[in-house]
Amino acid sequence: MSFARPRVFVGLQPRLLAAPRTTAARSAILAHRLLSTSTRALAQHAQGPATSDSHDGLTSSLSDRSSRTHSSPAPKYDAHGNELNPYRDGPSSIDKAVHLFFFTEILRGMWIVLENFFRPPYTIMYPFEKGPLSPRFRGEHALRRYPSGEERCIACKLCEAICPAQAITIESEARLDGSRKTTKYDIDMTKCIYCGFCQEACPVDAIVETQNQEFSTETREELLYNKEKLLANGDRAEAEIAANLHSDHVYR
Amino acid sequence: MSLFRTLRSIRRVGVREWWHQMQYIGDAKSGTFVGADQFGNRYFENVNQYEEVPGRHRWVDFAQHNYHASQVPPEWHSWLQHIRLNPPPQDPVMLNSSPPWKEPWVENLTGTRGAYKPYNTVPPKITAWEPKTTSRT
Ligand code: SF4
Ligand code: SF4
Repeated sequence: MSFARPRVFVGLQPRLLAAPRTTAARSAILAHRLLSTSTRALAQHAQGPATSDSHDGLTSSLSDRSSRTHSSPAPKYDAHGNELNPYRDGPSSIDKAVHLFFFTEILRGMWIVLENFFRPPYTIMYPFEKGPLSPRFRGEHALRRYPSGEERCIACKLCEAICPAQAITIESEARLDGSRKTTKYDIDMTKCIYCGFCQEACPVDAIVETQNQEFSTETREELLYNKEKLLANGDRAEAEIAANLHSDHVYR
Repeated sequence: MSLFRTLRSIRRVGVREWWHQMQYIGDAKSGTFVGADQFGNRYFENVNQYEEVPGRHRWVDFAQHNYHASQVPPEWHSWLQHIRLNPPPQDPVMLNSSPPWKEPWVENLTGTRGAYKPYNTVPPKITAWEPKTTSRT
């Protein structure tokens, strides 16, 4: 047991050597500590050679790191031909023992925890603040209307056919003016997997998925949407739906 | 620093507003008032990255005590979730795409008497058997 211990200690040494404590302490003081709000300009590499291909001042130093192959360094000799100790410029064993036994790395870690105590919190306080959402986000469904107020859906049943979860049920009839409209347009929101195929399939942009994700209900029954509910969703959120389609139309 | 940030926010918004924020948002925030929706929810923004963590720079102060995320109408929801850059009153696209038949937003009414209940929009295909008997004379 007592013989094994020094070997463990030797095994820990490279780790201690790898932590340049003077530079770490210096950069800790100098660096802008508001890491969460640092700009890209502040995030630049402070050290390291600027390569020719770095247009924006950001360097990866990947080639630098990959080229550094750690073969054992060539032994150095002094003027009298005696081999020099390659570790003579490094920290002494007392230094290393001090770091090991006084838990300085743990203290440094705890200091970072303490620093975060004085920084602005990162947590997004839902529902007061919300994370970014795409205009293509697929949330609650809605049936849209034309600007004239006429409902768009022509009961082509493409959405019903493509729905992989078979969540849509449509029945149609000819209206008195001869136009074909749905009499039943049910979506079982508990079956729906929110894949967005229905809005892709729709030739007239009638069924869309709005950005609303806060439609959770207390009973399962409330998630069996019928046509009236879907049309009401569309009537309420039309401005947002149209704005999202407008911002996305250049990519379609 | 969050202590400094808290003190700065208190100095800007006042102790009363700060207390209100602590009861709801749970954090002292200060920024420019961007607008209010039809329900009286107030929307704020602070794009100074040294004052608000990016991602937390837009927030809503709900008018109701029993606040819920679905109380934000869709137009402002677009702004709050960073989908659109401009707040809806200054967003030309949002203004142009608001049809006259647009209906007022209703929050998620689940658990209340206003909750949506599904019903059939077509006549039922199966009818219960109604026994028909000829009346005895
Ligand atoms: S989103 Fe997908 S699963 Fe849901 S109704 Fe549309 S097609 Fe069906
Ligand atoms: S919602 Fe679109 S795809 Fe579905 S039946 Fe109506 S028009 Fe056809």
